[in-house]
Amino acid sequence: MGYHEINLTINGGPEQVRVTSNMTLMRMLRESLALTGTKNGCSAGECGACTVLLNGEPVNSCMVLAVECDGAKVITVEGLASDQQLSPIQEAMIHVGGVQCGFCTPGMLITSRALLDRNPNPSEEEISEALVGNLCRCTGYIRIIDSIKVAARDKAATT
Amino acid sequence: MIKTDTQKTSSPVGESKPRIDAREKVTGAALYADDIQFGNKLLHARIKRSPHPHAMIKKIDVTKALALPGVKAVVTGEDFPGYIGLYLKDRHIFCRDRVRYVGDPVAGVAAINPEIAEQAVNLIEVEYEVLEPVFDPEYGASPKAPLLHPDLGEYTVASFILPQPGSNISNHFKIRKGDVTSAWMKCKAVIERKYRIPHIQHVPIEPHVAIAKVEESGEATLWDSSQSPFAQRDLIAETLGITQSEMRVIAPLVGGGFGGKAGVSMESLAVAIATKVKGYPVKLLLTREEEFFTAFVRQGLVAYFKMGCDNNGQLLAMENTFYWDGGAYTEYGVNITRAAGYSCTGPYEVANVKTDSYCIYTNHPVGGPMRGFGMPEMHAGLEQCIDELALEIGMDAVEFRRRNCVKADSILATGGKMHPTGLSECLEKAAEAIDWGWKAPPSAPNKRRGKGLALMWKAPAMPGNAGSSAWIELAEDGMLTLGVGCQDMGQGAFTVAAQMAAAAFGVPYESVRLATPVDTRFSPYEWQTVASRITWSTGNAIIHAAHDARRQVLDLVAKAWDETPQDLDIVNGMVVSFRSEREIPVKNLAVAGLPKADDTGWMGGPIIGRGSFMPAYVTGLDPDTGQGEHAVVHFTTGAQAIELEVDLDTGKIDILKGVAAFDVGRAINPDMVKAQMEGGLIQGISSALFECLQLKDGIVQNPSFVDYRIATSADIPKSVQSIIVEVPQDDGPWGARGIGEHSMVPTIPAIANAIYDAIGIRFEGPPFTAEKVYLAMLEAGIVKG
Amino acid sequence: MITHTHPTLPEFDYIRPETLVEASEFLAQHSNEACPFMGGTDIFNRMRDGILAPKFLVDVKNLDGTNNLVFNPDAGLTLGAAVNMNRVIASPEVRIHYPLLVEACQSVASYQLRTRTTIVGNICNASPAGDAIGACLVLDGNLHIHGTSGLRKELLSTFFVEPGKTKLKPGDIVTGISFPLPPRGCVGKYIKLGRNKLSDLSIVGVTVLGSHEPNLLSGFHFRIVLASVAPIPLVAIEAETHLSQHTVTLESLRQAAFLASEASAPIDDVRGSARYRKLMVRNLTEIALIEVWKKLQK
Repeated sequence: MGYHEINLTINGGPEQVRVTSNMTLMRMLRESLALTGTKNGCSAGECGACTVLLNGEPVNSCMVLAVECDGAKVITVEGLASDQQLSPIQEAMIHVGGVQCGFCTPGMLITSRALLDRNPNPSEEEISEALVGNLCRCTGYIRIIDSIKVAARDKAATT
Repeated sequence: MIKTDTQKTSSPVGESKPRIDAREKVTGAALYADDIQFGNKLLHARIKRSPHPHAMIKKIDVTKALALPGVKAVVTGEDFPGYIGLYLKDRHIFCRDRVRYVGDPVAGVAAINPEIAEQAVNLIEVEYEVLEPVFDPEYGASPKAPLLHPDLGEYTVASFILPQPGSNISNHFKIRKGDVTSAWMKCKAVIERKYRIPHIQHVPIEPHVAIAKVEESGEATLWDSSQSPFAQRDLIAETLGITQSEMRVIAPLVGGGFGGKAGVSMESLAVAIATKVKGYPVKLLLTREEEFFTAFVRQGLVAYFKMGCDNNGQLLAMENTFYWDGGAYTEYGVNITRAAGYSCTGPYEVANVKTDSYCIYTNHPVGGPMRGFGMPEMHAGLEQCIDELALEIGMDAVEFRRRNCVKADSILATGGKMHPTGLSECLEKAAEAIDWGWKAPPSAPNKRRGKGLALMWKAPAMPGNAGSSAWIELAEDGMLTLGVGCQDMGQGAFTVAAQMAAAAFGVPYESVRLATPVDTRFSPYEWQTVASRITWSTGNAIIHAAHDARRQVLDLVAKAWDETPQDLDIVNGMVVSFRSEREIPVKNLAVAGLPKADDTGWMGGPIIGRGSFMPAYVTGLDPDTGQGEHAVVHFTTGAQAIELEVDLDTGKIDILKGVAAFDVGRAINPDMVKAQMEGGLIQGISSALFECLQLKDGIVQNPSFVDYRIATSADIPKSVQSIIVEVPQDDGPWGARGIGEHSMVPTIPAIANAIYDAIGIRFEGPPFTAEKVYLAMLEAGIVKG
Repeated sequence: MITHTHPTLPEFDYIRPETLVEASEFLAQHSNEACPFMGGTDIFNRMRDGILAPKFLVDVKNLDGTNNLVFNPDAGLTLGAAVNMNRVIASPEVRIHYPLLVEACQSVASYQLRTRTTIVGNICNASPAGDAIGACLVLDGNLHIHGTSGLRKELLSTFFVEPGKTKLKPGDIVTGISFPLPPRGCVGKYIKLGRNKLSDLSIVGVTVLGSHEPNLLSGFHFRIVLASVAPIPLVAIEAETHLSQHTVTLESLRQAAFLASEASAPIDDVRGSARYRKLMVRNLTEIALIEVWKKLQK
C-alpha cells in the first residue's frame, strides 16, 4: 500500500504529514496529529461527529481521504477560537446550554460556523435543515438551534 | 452585623450556572477515552464473534491468526473461566462452551493496528454445533423451550433476585396484594390488552471504548467510557481473580451513556486480552455497527395488562404479566424485571394487584440498563390502558388520572406509603400547557389532529446499600477541590456537584474544581452513575463532606478568635463573625492552620472534608407477595402531553407540541433540569416514531445509522415546554430528586394516546412508523386502498 | 449481516491521474481491481462493509474541466462530473432554469455529504433510490463519457442495467452531464418519502415534470420517474401516456397515479414493505401531479 507525503494548512498552520492511501482525514487528524477534538462516531458519514471545514466547506472527515487533502485548508474545532477568544458560536453554546455530553459538539460547531458564514441570519427552519447531518442524542437539538440564533444575533451586533 | 456591601450572599443552588465542563467541550480540549494518547506501545483489539444465535462451540483454531505478523496475542474463553455479572453472574468474558447470541465474543486478538487485528480475527476458525434458538420471551418461559442456561441454579445471584433453575426464567418478581379475583366483580369496566415493545439501543454518539493495560505484577488499569468505574473495578477484578485494589479504572468524560455504559459489557474483553500482553495498553473500540448489538440493548417486552375501575372511575384492580426478552445474559436485566414489578401499577393507587414480572433468556442481544430501566417499556402499554379505561366509563382522561394518581400517603403496590409528590400538580400543568379539552382544527384537509397525555413514575432501581462518597480539599488560592466518584455523561452531574459543594461550604460556584477524571485509585467510592441517583445520593455525600470541612474551619477560627462556631459563617470564601464582625479569607487557613496567640505555636492544619451517604431504610420485599415497608428510596413523578398531526396520505406523524412537567423536588440547576426534559422528550419521540432493532432469527437487520433511524434536528416539535415542579424530597439535598431518565418514560404512550385521539387507532407497540400508521388507517377504512 | 464491517477503510492504493487519457488507460488495464471515485461516499461505505475490495481507487476529480458548471442560454446546462451537489443547489442559473435539479439535490443526505456527493456520482452508483436520477431523466440528461476510445455521449434513459450496474465499460469515466434547455414554462416536483423528515434514503421517490405540449392530444406532457420501487429508476410510461392521450383533469391525474403504482415493482426490505411502497407511489404521484398541474395552469 502506497504512502503519500502531503502538505496542507490546518487551523492556519502548515503541516506536512505522511499518510497511507487508506487513511481518512479524520484518522490523520486524530492519530497522526493528535488533534482529537474531531470525533469518530460512526466512520460512515452518518453522524457528523467528525465534521471539519475543508477549503471552507463542511465535510465528514471520515469520508475524505487524507491524500485528497494535499494543498487544502482544514479547520477543526481547535481552530475556531483565536488567541483564547472563543468564537460567538462557542460562547453561545456555553451560555444557552447547547452542550451536554459534548461528543457531537465539535461537529455541531463546525457545521454552525459554516452555516453562519454563508447565511448570517438563518431562519429556524434553515438552521434545522443545516444540522440534519449532525446527530445529537442528549440535547434534543433545541438548545443547539437556540445557540445558533444567539450567535447570529451577537455576530450581527458586533459587525 | 454583616458587612453586606462587600458580600453577595446568593447560593448557587437554584441558579442556572453554566456547565463546569462547557469550555473544554466547545474548544475540543475535552478528553474522551479514545482521545488519550498511549504512544507506540498501544495495541489494538478486535473480537471474533458468533454468527449463530445459539450453538455449542466444538473447536477453535487460532494457529493461522497467531502466525500473522503484527499479531501479539489471541485469547479464547479457555483462558478465562470466571463468571461475571452485576446481579447474577451468568456470563463469561469470552464464551467457553456455548454461544448465546449473534455477536457473542468467542475470541480476541491484539495486534499492532486495527487492520491486522481484523485480518487475524478472520483467520480464526471456529466449529459450531447449531442449537435450537429461542426468539420469543413467552416461548422462552414455556417448558417447550430449550434451556439456554442449564446451570442457572448454580450462578451466584443477589438475594433479591429470584431465578427459576431448570427454566429460562432468570427472575420472577411477584406482587400479590389484596384480592383481584373478587375485585373484578366490583368493576364497572375492565380492560385487557397485550403490548409488544421492541428492542432499541442507546445510540450514544460516542461508541463504547476501553483501553486496558496489565503489568507484570498483575495490576490492571482500565481507561474507558464508563458510568460505573467502581462497579467495573469490582466485577472485572472478581472475574479475573485479582483484588479490587489491583484493578484500577480511570474514566474520562463520557460521550453519552443512557445506561449503556453502566455495569460491564465490552470492557472486560479489553482487560482479558491485556493480561496476555503484559505492559502493553490494548484498545478495543466498538464500530458503530457493533455498538448496535454487542454491548447492551434495551430489552424487549411482551406485556399483558388487565385493569378495572368502578363507576366513579376509581381503579380497583390491576393484573399484569410482563415477559421481558432479556437476551442471552440477564446479569443486569434481572433488576429491570424487578423494578417493573414493584412499579407495576404505574403512578396510581390500586388496592388489588397481581403482577408477575418474568425476566427470560432468549438468543437475542444482551438486554441491559437503558434510560428508564423498564419504565418506558411498561408505561408504553399501561398509560394507554388508563386512557381506554377512562373512555370506557365516559370519563375524561385527565380527570381519571386526577382521581387515581398517587398522592402523599397513597398505598403503593408494595404496601408501603407514597411520600409527598407533585404528581397532581404535574398533571394539571401539563394539561394546561397543552390546552387540554380544546381541539384545534387540522392544519390541512389531509391531516388529522390529536392530543394525548401520560403520567409516569420511577424510583432509582438499585440495591438498598448503594453508596456515595465525596471529599473536599481547600487550596491556598481559595479554590475548593471536590472529589467524587460519579460521572458526567452530559446530564450535568459535575456542574451540580460543584454547585452543591459551593453552597454547602460557602464559596462561589466559580471557586470549585472537580478532581476528575474519576480514578478509582484516588476518587471516592460511588456505586454507579445510573438510576438518576447522583444529584440525590452524591449530593448528600457532598453536603456531608462540605459540612465536615466547614466544621474544621469554623472550629479553628472560633478557637483563634475566642468565639463560638455558632456565631461564625463562611460566605463567599470568607469566614465571618456575626458577633464581632471580624473576617478572614478561608484560603489563609486552608493548608497552614493559624498561629496561636503570642507566637506560642500553631493550630489547625490542612482542611480536608469527607462525606458519605447510603440510604439506611430500604427494606426487602417478600418473595411471594412483593410486599415490604420501604421498597425504594423515593419516586420521581411527572407528566407529558403531546399534540400531533397524522398525515392521511403517508401515515407520517408530525409532533407539533410537546410539554412536560416533572417534580424534581428542587432544581439545583433549573436550566439543566429543563435540558434533561427536552433531551428526554426528543429521545422519547425518537423511540416512539422511528426506533426499532429489527431482529430476524436473532440477527439485527439494521445495525447502522442508515437503517436505525434516530431523531435529527428536523424531527423536533415546533413547540416544546418544560415545567419544573418542586415538592421537596425529605432526604434530598435541598429537597432534590433525580430527573435524568424520567423525561423519556411517558413519551410513547402520550404519543399513542394522541394518535388515538386523531384517528381512533391503537397499535400493539412502537415504533409508530408512517407505514404502520398508514396500513392501519387503510384497514380501518380511514383511507382508501 | 454487518458483523464484518471493518473498523477502518481496508488497504488500497490511491491513484491520481493527471489527464482523462491516463485515467481511462489505467482503469481499463486494471478493470477488475480498480474503481474510479469522486466524492467516495458510496464507495467508501461499501469497502468498509466488505462488499467492494478494489486494489486501486482512482481519483477522477479535477480532470480536464470536470469541475465546471456552465450554463448557455441557447444550449442548456453542462455540469462537470465533479461539481458537488451544494454547488448545484447554490448556482443561480440552476435555480432559475432547472429548479427541479435543485429540489432533488436538496433532498440528499446532509450538507456535509453534499459537499462530496455529485449528480454524476449519484447516477453512476445506479441505486434505484438515487435522488437526483429522476430529475436528470425528465430533464433529458446526456452523459459525457471518456473511455479508451475517446469521448462519447450516452442517453441517460438507457444507461441503467440493474442495481449498481450501468452501461459503463472498463476505462470509462463520466466527465459530465448536459441538459438541453427545458421546455418553456415547465414545472417540476420531487417528492421523497423517508422515515425521518430529512436526511434519509428514499423509501419512495416521485419525480414529475410537466409542460405545455401542443403536439400531444391532451396539450400537456407529463414525465414521471419513480425511485426505490424497481431495480432501476422507473419511468412510469403507462401513466405518462395516459396523460398525453386524455384531457387533463383531476380524474385523469388520479388514474395516472394509479397506473404509476401498478407499474411499480417494489420489494419488501428493512425500510418498508412492497405494499406500502405501492400505495405511496399512488398517493405521492397524485400529489405531485396535482401540484404541477395547478402551477401549469397559472
